[in-house]
Amino acid sequence: MTDPALDVTGIGVWGVPLAVASGAVRIGTPFLFVSLGECLTEKSGRVNLGLEGTLVMGAMSAYAVSYYSGSAWLGVLVAGLVGAVLGSLHGWLCSLPRVNDVAIGIALISFGTGLAFFLGKPFIQPSAQKLPAIDLGFWSSSPEVRSALQINALFVVGLILAPAIAFLLARTRWGLVLRTVGESSDAARSMGYRVNTVRAIATTCGGFLAGVAGSFLSLFYPGSWNERLSSGQGLMAVALVIFAQWNPVRCLWAALLFGASSALGPALQSVGVSSGYQLFNAVPYVLTLGIMVATSSASRRLPGQPAELTVAR
Amino acid sequence: MNRAAAEAVIIRVVALIASMALFGAFVALAGADPLDVFYQMYRGSFGTSFSVQNTLLRAAPLMLTALCTAIPARLGLMVIGGEGAMVMGGLAAITCGLACSAMSPWIVTVAMALAGFAVGGCWIGLSGALRAYRGVNETISSLLFNYIAIALLSYFVEGPMRDPTSLNKPSTRAIPAADMLQSIPGLEVHWGLVFGLVACVVAHVLMMRSVFGFGAAIAGGNLRAGMLCGLPVRRMMIIAAVLGGGAAGLAGMAEVAAVHGRANGSLVTGYGYTGILVAFMAQHEPLAIIPVALLFGGIGASNGLLQRVDHLPDATVAVLQGILFVVILASETLYGRFAIFRPREERAVRSAVAGAAPEAT
Amino acid sequence: MSAVAVSSQAPPARPAVIPVNGARKAPPQLAAEGIAKSFGSLVVLEDVSLTLPPGSFHALLGENGAGKSTLVKCIMGYQPADAGRILIDGAPVKIESTRAAQAHGIGMVYQHFTLVPNMTVAENLVMARADVPLVIDWNKERESLRAFMAGMPFQIDPSRVVRSLAAGERQKLEILKQLYLGNRILILDEPTSVLTPSEADEVLGMLRGMAHARAISILMITHKFREVTSFADEVTVLRRGRVAGQGLVKDLTTAEMASMMVGGEVPRASASRADRDAGEVRLSLEGVRAVDDRGIGVLDGISLEVRAGEIVGIAGVSGNGQDELLEVIAGQRELTGGEMRVNGARYLATREETRAARMRCLPEEPLRNACVPTMSVSENIGFRGYDRPPFTLWGWLVRRDALRRHAAECVSAFKIKTPSVDTAMARLSGGNVQRSVLARELQGEPRVLVVANPCFGLDFAAVAFIRTRLLEARNSGVAVLLISADLDEIFALADRILVISGGRMVYETPIASAEVATIGKHMAGHG
Repeated sequence: MTDPALDVTGIGVWGVPLAVASGAVRIGTPFLFVSLGECLTEKSGRVNLGLEGTLVMGAMSAYAVSYYSGSAWLGVLVAGLVGAVLGSLHGWLCSLPRVNDVAIGIALISFGTGLAFFLGKPFIQPSAQKLPAIDLGFWSSSPEVRSALQINALFVVGLILAPAIAFLLARTRWGLVLRTVGESSDAARSMGYRVNTVRAIATTCGGFLAGVAGSFLSLFYPGSWNERLSSGQGLMAVALVIFAQWNPVRCLWAALLFGASSALGPALQSVGVSSGYQLFNAVPYVLTLGIMVATSSASRRLPGQPAELTVAR
Repeated sequence: MNRAAAEAVIIRVVALIASMALFGAFVALAGADPLDVFYQMYRGSFGTSFSVQNTLLRAAPLMLTALCTAIPARLGLMVIGGEGAMVMGGLAAITCGLACSAMSPWIVTVAMALAGFAVGGCWIGLSGALRAYRGVNETISSLLFNYIAIALLSYFVEGPMRDPTSLNKPSTRAIPAADMLQSIPGLEVHWGLVFGLVACVVAHVLMMRSVFGFGAAIAGGNLRAGMLCGLPVRRMMIIAAVLGGGAAGLAGMAEVAAVHGRANGSLVTGYGYTGILVAFMAQHEPLAIIPVALLFGGIGASNGLLQRVDHLPDATVAVLQGILFVVILASETLYGRFAIFRPREERAVRSAVAGAAPEAT
Repeated sequence: MSAVAVSSQAPPARPAVIPVNGARKAPPQLAAEGIAKSFGSLVVLEDVSLTLPPGSFHALLGENGAGKSTLVKCIMGYQPADAGRILIDGAPVKIESTRAAQAHGIGMVYQHFTLVPNMTVAENLVMARADVPLVIDWNKERESLRAFMAGMPFQIDPSRVVRSLAAGERQKLEILKQLYLGNRILILDEPTSVLTPSEADEVLGMLRGMAHARAISILMITHKFREVTSFADEVTVLRRGRVAGQGLVKDLTTAEMASMMVGGEVPRASASRADRDAGEVRLSLEGVRAVDDRGIGVLDGISLEVRAGEIVGIAGVSGNGQDELLEVIAGQRELTGGEMRVNGARYLATREETRAARMRCLPEEPLRNACVPTMSVSENIGFRGYDRPPFTLWGWLVRRDALRRHAAECVSAFKIKTPSVDTAMARLSGGNVQRSVLARELQGEPRVLVVANPCFGLDFAAVAFIRTRLLEARNSGVAVLLISADLDEIFALADRILVISGGRMVYETPIASAEVATIGKHMAGHG
C-alpha cells in the first residue's frame, strides 16, 4: 500500500518524520471535524455512535454532488447538510422514551453505510472535482517535500473552527445552555429549557461536521469514492473526544496525533520497512484503546466529562 | 400467552411490517417493483428447498454471533465485537486444525471448536475485563477490537501463515477435506447449524433460568443492587463476555471448518454486525434469536436473486438491514403506551403516576 | 432560537440589589383560589385555597402524597390546574410556564438542588436569568454579581465551582439565585433537609427577617414542626388534597397540626426500647478509609462498634461521608485502608460472608440502591435467597413459583401495597418499595442490620411501621446501625449517638446524656 503522497524515498531517513507530519495534517483533518462534531454532541449530554454512517454518507454525497456540479465546495456543503439530516434523525429517535442512545447509534451506522453504498454505486469509477490544496512547500526543489507540505483547505477551516467552538461554549448564551443541558438536565429543565430539543440541535450540528469530514475523505484524501473509504474514523472520534477531555482545542491536537499514528505505517513502508505492514494498520486503534485504558477508571469520572454523559463511565 | 409476551411479539411484528413498507418505498424509488422484490425475497429465502438450505446456512453463524451481544447484554454490557471474535476464532481454529491434521477427524473437529471458542472468548473477555476493572466502555473497546482483529487476520494470512500456492487471494493452507465439518445427514447444511441451535438453548437455560442468570439479571439491572447482594459482579461480567465471545468464535470455526477449509479475507463476513441486529430484535432472549436468525438468514439468502432478477445492487440488503435496525429500536418506544397490554389494576395507578411523575416537563 | 427560549413575555428588568431594610415597595400578594387537579381518576387536589400576604412566612404542612408538591407546581407553572385560579395583588393571572412564574416574581427553591455542580456560581446565576446576553463578558458579570452580593446577608465567591460548595452553601446559593432573579415570592421545598440545625436556624431566621422587612414573601413546604412554630406566621395543612386546617401559627399547637395532617391519631411506633444490656460486638470498623467517585478521600479513619441488642445512630449532615460509609459496609465501595469485622471475622461483603454473618442492609433511596426497578416484586424480595433451597431446583435452577409464594407471604406480613407480586418494582410508591426491601432484609433472622435514612419521604403510617420493626429487631438482639440525617429519628431510636463530620467520627454519647445543641455543633464541624 505505497501511497505516492507519503512516498519520501527520495530524501532518505528525514522522510519519515516529514511524512508523519504531513500525514498528521492530511489524515488528521477528518478526525478533527468528526471529533469537533462529537464534542458538541457530547457536551449536550448525548453520545452519537452513528457518526461512522454519517461520515460515509457525507463522503458519498460530496463526491456525487461534486461530480455532477463540478464544484467540490458545493459537495462539502451538501455533505454537511446530509450529515445534519442524519444527525437530526439520531436526535429525534433518541428523544423518544425508552430508546437506547447507544443502540440507535449503531443502527445508524448500519443504515448510513448501507444507504451510502447503495446510492454510491454509480460513482465508484468516475472522477469528480477535488478540493484544492495550499502549497506551503513552494520554496523547496524536492518534489517529495513539496507534496508533503501541501495543506488542504479544509484543515485551515478546522484550525479556525476549533477555537471558535471553544469560544462558543464558554462565552455565548447558546454555549451556556448547551453545557447546562449536558451537566444537569434537571437544572436545565427547571429553567424552562427543553433538554431533548437542545440535544437534537447539538447532534444535528455534530452530524453536519461529520458529513464535512466525510467529504474530505472522498474529495481530497484518499480522494475517491469506494466502499472501503472509511476505516472507523467516526467511531474513533468518540475515543478522541474522551482523550481531548471534551475540550475543542485539544481535539485539534488529538486529531493530529491520530493522523500521525495512521501515517506511520505507510511512511515506514516507503523507506523499506516492508514486513508486518498490516500490523501498522492497527496502530490507530491500538492507540485509541491505550488512551481509553489509561484515562478510564472503574469508579471515577473522567476530567472534563459532562455529567449527563454515560458513555465513558 | 401473557400480556407482556403478547406485547413484545406484536410490537416486533408491527416494526417488521413498517420496515418492510419503508423498504418497499425505497426500492420503488430505486426503480424496482416492490411486490416483485418481496416475491423474490420469499423465493430466495424459503421458496425452494435450495433456498431453505441457503437460509439455514446463513442463519447458523447468526445465531452464534447474536449470542455475542445477547449474553453480555443481560449483565448490562453492550458488546458489538462479534465480528472480531468470529475472525479470531476462525484464525485460532485453522491454526489448530493445521497443527492437528495428523489425528482423527473427530479430534480435529473438537480441537478446532475448542480453539475457536477459547480464543473468541478471550477476545471479548478482554473487553469485558477492561470494563469490569478499568471502566473502559465495552462498546467502543469491542469495536476497536474488531478492527484490530481484521488487521491481525490480514497480517497472518498474508504473512506467516500464507499458503504459497494461493496467489490471487492470500489464504492459509487448507485442512484436509476429511477434517472439515460435514453436513448434517439429510441436509446440505453443515453441523454449524446444530452448534447454533444448541448454543441458543444452552444460553437460554443459563441466562434465563439458572442461578447464575438470575444473579446476572440483578447485576445487569442495577449494579449497586448486585453489589449489595454480594454478587461478584466483575467476575460475572467477564464470564458473560467470554461466553458471548466464545459463541462468536465458534461461528468463525464453522466458517473455516465447514465453508472454506482455510482462513482468508472471506472470514470477514459481516455476520458479526448482523448478529448485533439479530440480538436486538430478539431482545437478547436466546430462544427468540433462533427465529430472528432464520429471518435474517433468509434476507441474506435472497440477496443473489435480488441482484439477478431485480437488478438491485448488493447493498440493497444492507439498506434493508439498516432500516430494520432503526425501526426496531425506535419501536421500543411503543412499549407501555397501549393500555390494552397493561394489567387492569395497573392502568388507573399508571395514569395517576404518569401525570405526577416528571418534575418539570 | 425560539425552540429554546420558552417565555413569550418580556423579561423583567435586571434586578437591582434588594435591600433588606425594605426601601422598595412590598412584594405582591399571592392568592390561590379553589385549586383542583386530578390525574385520570386520581384526585390530587380539591378546592385548595391559600393566601400569602406581602411579607408573610407561610408554612405548608402535609404528609407525603397530601398534594403539597402538586399545589406548588400549579403555582409555579409546571402543570396547569384543572380548576381554580391564581391571583397576584387581587388580579387573576395565567401562569403556564416557569418563565411566566418568574415574570411575576415567583421563584422556587427545590429540595434537590438545581445548581449545575460542574459549573461556577457565576455561570449558574447568569444561566438562570431570562435575559442571558448573546455573548457573555464574564469579568463584567462577576463584578456585577459581587456588587449584588454585597447587599445580601451572605456572600459566595462567583468564581467558585458549585461542586466545591458545601451543602449549606449550596442551599444559600439557591436562595441567592432567586433573589438575584428578582423574585419576591419564594417557595421553598424542605429547604433545611441538608443543613445542620444551626445552619437551618440561620437561613430560616434570615429569610424571616427579610419577610418581616417586607422584602419577600415565603411559602415553605416542611414536615418539621419546630421550624413551623419557630419561624412561620401562618400555616396551611393539607390532607389528601384538601385543606385540613389553616391558621396563625401562634394559635395552633404542634399536636393539633399533626392531627390535622393525619386526620386523627398520629400513628406511633408500637414498640419501644426495652431495657437490656448490649451484648457482644457484632460489627466493628477500624480505621476505615475510602475515596469517593472523584478519587478524593471521603472516609478518613472511621472506627466504630455495634453490639447485639443496641441501635447505634450516626448523625451528620449529608455529604460528610455517610453515603460512602454505608456503601463500604454494603460492599458497594472498596476500602482503601482499615478493616471491617463482623462477628470477629474479617468482612469483605461477599455473598457467602453476608449469608454466614447474617448481615443485612437497607440503603437510602432503596429503588436506586437496593432494587432492580424493572424486575418484579417477587424477584426483588428474592435477592438474598434465590440461590439456596427452597428456591432452587437441583441446586442450579431458580424456582420462580417458590419465589412468588414467598413474596406473597411478605406482602401480607409487611402490608406492601402492590397490584401483584409480578408487578415491576418501579411501579410501587416509595413507602412500598421501602417495605419490600425491609421484608427482604429482615428475613432469616439477621444478626446485624445497617440502615440509612429509612423513613425519608414516607408518610406517618409507614414511618411508624418501620420504626416499630427496627425497635423490635433491636429488642430481639439484632445489632442495628442507623445512619440518619433526621435528628428526631436518631433521638427516637438510638441507644448511642455518634456524629460524623468530614469523614471522621467526631463525637459519641449515650442517649441519656445526648443534647441537640452539642450534637448540632459537632455536625457542623465545631466542637
